[in-house]
Amino acid sequence: MTINHANAQQWATDYDEKTPQEILALVLDNFENAAISFSGAEDVVLIDMAAKLGKPFRVFSLDTGRLHAETYQFIEKVRNHYKVAIEICFPESAQVQEMVNAKGMFSFYVDDHKECCTVRKVAPLKKKLATLDAWVTGQRKDQSPGTRLAVPVVQADAAFSGAGKQLVKFNPLSNWTSAEVWEYIRANEVPYNELHGKGFTSIGCEPCTRAILPNQHEREGRWWWEEATKKECGLHVVNLK
Amino acid sequence: MHIIMVKKILADGSPCKKCGEVLAKMEADDQLKYINDVLIADERDAESAGMLLAKKLGVERAPFFVVTQDDGTQTVYTVYLKFVKDVLNKVVSEKEELQELLQNSPDLDFL
Repeated sequence: MTINHANAQQWATDYDEKTPQEILALVLDNFENAAISFSGAEDVVLIDMAAKLGKPFRVFSLDTGRLHAETYQFIEKVRNHYKVAIEICFPESAQVQEMVNAKGMFSFYVDDHKECCTVRKVAPLKKKLATLDAWVTGQRKDQSPGTRLAVPVVQADAAFSGAGKQLVKFNPLSNWTSAEVWEYIRANEVPYNELHGKGFTSIGCEPCTRAILPNQHEREGRWWWEEATKKECGLHVVNLK
Repeated sequence: MHIIMVKKILADGSPCKKCGEVLAKMEADDQLKYINDVLIADERDAESAGMLLAKKLGVERAPFFVVTQDDGTQTVYTVYLKFVKDVLNKVVSEKEELQELLQNSPDLDFL
């Protein structure tokens, strides 16, 4: 279906207090060409929910080439458990080769993670999203260290939309906390990545993710050698009263 | 075609650094002539024209561009280099465009 920013905004308002399952149903009922982005972490709950809705759904995953062995095993486990074909997206080998040959295997510890993420994650993601009309992520508001990161349940994706084509992004878990996600995982016996049992909260690439201590924010398990990301470009309304 | 650019003023009254960089680049490349309106999103004033437009369109980043075609089709760009490539038909490095996209999209950290 065709949707514009105004439609997406209306959905964002109408569905802000709906359950993740209702938001997933909205996607699957309205977009034939939609897919769930699966990172190999607790966003597996989206796959579980979609499977229980009984509607056809697609899943894709970005293989950066630097994931943990446990994550690869988990992706395979999910594929078998839900009998779903997970569409794996790889980076362009020529781009990876150029970067690694010029800067080595661990350039992100010297520069920052941006260049590596651009090559290994953003480029293949852009390529994949160019083939879709809508995508679903497990992003939540509580993943940001501050309260500034806005994660509407539905948004017109201005970053990845192409000329003349509007991509729509759904974040059904936006209003859930990490605790609610884990409550769902336990209650529904959803399979999960073994790394969670080893203290990993946020799971990304192996060199860039680490276990955290109790009460540390999950963001502290990523790119810990860098300063917390500034979000200067966000639009924030100040309470003047 | 009608193009609106929205730039931001921070809560402390200072101009947004990224907006300034984009404006300087556009001026240097003689691209400002393509912009029909420049609106201010003033974080101190939720009713400022830019903040209202951002809210209406669900945009959370600045600067951003709203391109309305003659047939009414509207496209929002939050990545300057993507706007330059798609709308102004300029040649842009894919790597630079993706790096700006990542820089503007902290939510991608969690994918």
